Amino acid sequence: MLEHIVFYSLSAVVLLSALAVVTLKNTVHSSLMLGLSLAGVAGLYAALGADFLFAAQIMVYVSGIAVLVMFVVMLLGRASDLHLRQVNEYWVAALAVCGVASVGLLRLAGARSATFAAAAAQPGTRIIGRLFLGEYLLPFELISLLLLAALLGAVFFTHKESAS
Amino acid sequence: MTLADYMTVSALLFLIGVFGALTRRNIIGILMSIELMFNAANLNLAAFDRFLHPEGLIGQTLAIFTITVAAAEIVVGLALLLAIYRNTDTTYVEDFHLLKG
Repeated sequence: MLEHIVFYSLSAVVLLSALAVVTLKNTVHSSLMLGLSLAGVAGLYAALGADFLFAAQIMVYVSGIAVLVMFVVMLLGRASDLHLRQVNEYWVAALAVCGVASVGLLRLAGARSATFAAAAAQPGTRIIGRLFLGEYLLPFELISLLLLAALLGAVFFTHKESAS
Repeated sequence: MTLADYMTVSALLFLIGVFGALTRRNIIGILMSIELMFNAANLNLAAFDRFLHPEGLIGQTLAIFTITVAAAEIVVGLALLLAIYRNTDTTYVEDFHLLKG
């Protein structure tokens, strides 16, 4: 019973704030709602017993990416943005695409309506750590290279060229 | 709770993200919608781990990789956006036609 209450309230938070992200006119508000939605997904990870993923979600998404997006929104926002339309003229077509895709996706989900969790969730940080330094060592090192490349790219793109 | 409940939430979150990416005029809004789609995929991976393969946790490992790639993506995307904004003075995607000639 408690599991149901937790799941449905977290899902409501995630989906309603995600809807607010894509529909709100004010970008500052929608970036705040993005933070709420990502925090709700972190709660769903906790409900799934994914402890390390929960911590990573809070640290990377809620306190990293959401804050970064908010920072850029406030840096580039203008007062005139509040009076402009934020949705383009193709929203009916986009809604149709989403409606068609939802039929397939929800049918796929419905096929698993009899799959229950086999056992109680175990703490997974130790297993994930062993996977990172064992079976997935090469992707783990490659991802560090990717982060280095992203760091250099961010510095390169935002660097102002001196007049030469 | 069954796997279907988590898959439904994740499918709806993904569709909301698709809708946002297709309809937002502001490029920051598009980047935020893409983050929502990444989160839907991660939620699915964690749910598959819990319900189908509880012993291995390979799905959660993949989700960590996805989170890292998403972080790199948003950082480079926002840096590009700052560079474009400096040249074109706008954040609306219809006005990005520098390559059109």
